[in-house]
Amino acid sequence: MRPKFVKYYPLIPVYMAYLIMFVVGCTMPGMWQMVAMLAFYCAIGQAFNIFLGMTGYVDFGYVAFLALGTYGMALGITAFYHTGLGIGIIFIGLALGVVMATLLSLAVGAVALRLRGAYFAIATIGVNEGFRYFVEGAKIWGGSEGLIFSGELKEAFGAKMASQLSTFWADVMVFIIAAVAAFVTIHYMRSKIGYALTALREDEDAAKVMGINVTKYKIMAFITSASFAGLIGAAAWALKLTYVFPPDVFEIAYTVECIIVVLLGGAGTLLGPVVGGLVYALSKYWLAVVAPGFQLLIFAPIIIVIIVAFPEGIMGVVKRGTKGTWLERYIV
Amino acid sequence: MVWEQLGGNLTQGLVLGAVYGVATMGLSLIFGVLRVVNVGHGPFIMVGAFVTLSMFMALGVAPVAAIPAALLVGIALGFVFFYTTMRRLIKAPELASLLATFAMGILLEEIVKHIFGAEFRGYTWDVGKIVLPMTVMPMTKVYAFIGSIVVAALLYLWFNRTRMGTAIRTVVEDSEGARVCGVNVGWIYALSFAIGIGLTVMSGVFLAMFIPVGINPYMGGAYTLKAFVIAVLGGLTSPYGAFFGGLIFGLVENGSYTLFALLPHVEPFALTRFLTFLILLIILLIRPTGLLGAKK
Amino acid sequence: MALLKLENITKRFGGLVAVNGVSLEIEAGELIGIVGPNGSGKTTLYNVISGVYSPEEGKVIFEDKDITRLPPYRRAPLGIGRTFQIPRPFSSATVRENVAVGAMFGTLSGKVSVDESLEIADRYIELVGLKAYKDKASGGLTPVDKKLMEIARALAMKPKLLLMDEAMAGMHPRDIDEMVRFLKKVGEEEGIAIVSMVEHIMRAVAGFAQRVVVMYQGAKLVDAPTAEALSDPRVIDVYLGRPSGG
Repeated sequence: MRPKFVKYYPLIPVYMAYLIMFVVGCTMPGMWQMVAMLAFYCAIGQAFNIFLGMTGYVDFGYVAFLALGTYGMALGITAFYHTGLGIGIIFIGLALGVVMATLLSLAVGAVALRLRGAYFAIATIGVNEGFRYFVEGAKIWGGSEGLIFSGELKEAFGAKMASQLSTFWADVMVFIIAAVAAFVTIHYMRSKIGYALTALREDEDAAKVMGINVTKYKIMAFITSASFAGLIGAAAWALKLTYVFPPDVFEIAYTVECIIVVLLGGAGTLLGPVVGGLVYALSKYWLAVVAPGFQLLIFAPIIIVIIVAFPEGIMGVVKRGTKGTWLERYIV
Repeated sequence: MVWEQLGGNLTQGLVLGAVYGVATMGLSLIFGVLRVVNVGHGPFIMVGAFVTLSMFMALGVAPVAAIPAALLVGIALGFVFFYTTMRRLIKAPELASLLATFAMGILLEEIVKHIFGAEFRGYTWDVGKIVLPMTVMPMTKVYAFIGSIVVAALLYLWFNRTRMGTAIRTVVEDSEGARVCGVNVGWIYALSFAIGIGLTVMSGVFLAMFIPVGINPYMGGAYTLKAFVIAVLGGLTSPYGAFFGGLIFGLVENGSYTLFALLPHVEPFALTRFLTFLILLIILLIRPTGLLGAKK
Repeated sequence: MALLKLENITKRFGGLVAVNGVSLEIEAGELIGIVGPNGSGKTTLYNVISGVYSPEEGKVIFEDKDITRLPPYRRAPLGIGRTFQIPRPFSSATVRENVAVGAMFGTLSGKVSVDESLEIADRYIELVGLKAYKDKASGGLTPVDKKLMEIARALAMKPKLLLMDEAMAGMHPRDIDEMVRFLKKVGEEEGIAIVSMVEHIMRAVAGFAQRVVVMYQGAKLVDAPTAEALSDPRVIDVYLGRPSGG
């Protein structure tokens, strides 16, 4: 049995990192907020990496999946808050969030993933805007005013429990989602799926001739990435903020942040999003104190520098340094 | 009554479409020559709008005079971005240039924000109105329309009658072949990128002349998507296709807005923007080389 | 039943006819050379067989099945393998991982696990002599080693038909002889029909092929046993640039 589990060893540093974060947040006073933010960025980094890192395609409309997850939770709560299902409502919300995000990814994927790199990017730029303006234009789900459900949440759980949900349990969920996303990532990487994705990322035409159904694998990665985004939106956005507002949840800045996290850490690696998430979130926090409003101004040229000079990100450098050592097995 | 309104809106749409068209020509040029999609397209247009604004506010200069200034600013920006970044990405995977141009756009937005602030600004330059059969149009819009057509025509002449323009066209067709014929492809890349960006920034002046309110650092984003739709409509590699695509788009956009405004329970502005996206998807599905481009 | 049958294949690009009414039959296990000057349509023909291009006219029939409209990724599991003139490694992956891709998605697709594929890869890597580079990133190999890896990867697909595109270009004559010996041996042992396409390295074809097909301007000029084909006056004319006869 041992050889079989060796391929999951790279999860060890990832889970160690999450565990340390969790413990620090629980034990040191006032640190939970910060740790929750770190976990959020690691989580969306892992989710986004499953598509960007493994296929080399960039989905500029990614935040739409986070948004749909948020709406899923919001709709779940507003629809079921009076049914006395207790914690079941949260699960319904999560399920709705995943389902909605997955459905959108199926729709977009079926159309856009048949297109090559640049055309795909063009198609996805519109998804975000397109869906937002659909919601606002057709005046569904609260239209341009969005939904507020703090009241419903309190009614369903009582004020105290509702507050705990928003300030603690939502973040715990994010940790769990991040851990599951990491597991799925390494599972993909070590399986036939991972080989297919690497091949199509490096040379899509050669991959086809080798027998790889590139569209099928692209869709797999796309849907997986989108579903996790839905989960994260449902937990980290809806549950914490207790409202959903279209200009906020469809804000392209979040897609930008996903790109930064993955690129900084190392696209296509397992540890990359974790490292990238930590570095980015901490920098963002620090900048917010030291030079508020300057974050993007500083990060935009950093993205350019990474693309030109360090396309493999931090983990690219680390991996080259640990090649041939005992660490190689854990640094993936 | 409805027909009059529709006709008036369509006229306005056609005129706006010319501006849209010019705004997209740069995008098509850059893609045609370098096979790079400038994902940061919108923010460059915004820069042109701010050039117009600052020249008007600071120097009291009519927007028309901002046109050459914006063109020069754009060309300069284009060369800078090319030689610092794009040149090194020619051999890199597609993803790299997509992300790099995207980041450039963000950088521009942030720089403008820090210089000018994030509020919405506008200016008024009243040079009278012209009365047309179904609508009344401010002269600024007419100037923008004329300007756009002039630029498109000049570009056509330049591409087809000058040596430089011909060299560029050969690179669009076949870069290896052009190289073999002695064309300095590296310089053509740089020049095309710079001119493409120059056109884009310059179109910001026309846009500002057309819509002189609501100028803010983040206004560009909306135009990125529109430009893509137009570019795809016109055949991604053809600047003239882009111009005519712009005209069509202007008509469709205004026409649909008028029609949506008639429907109850919907918000016409938002729905029009949704339609934009839908059009893009449909075209990408059935005829990605564009309605007016060459069939691949 | 012929392994591969091309019936009157015509492929056009706009006004240019790249392949003009070519018919061809290849039996299982045959060793064939396709020869012809630049622009004669050899690569286009390969692309039609592997599914990259769809012919305007004609049919591609593999083991009695009409595969003319089948996309490329469906042809590999049927047993059609291919190497490229300029090697196309999956650069960031190791040599081992590259070759394993062949095993995973070729004729064994769905029947082998990832670990089994890696074992198969090891075997073929050793066979072509790249064992020392097994875990090296394939992007860093020398051009000749990349070619060897291409061949290993294609063999790992366990193909029935292997299309080799200028596999020996840039090789030293001694290496070419060795490669020819290798291919003959592998072809026999594994029952693969191998088609080797060359533009002018006759040494690669002379000692290797049982039969030679000569192409010129998109059409099949000659299709005969090797010695006959290579001494045909029309073939000599084609290479020296003189039109034959009248």
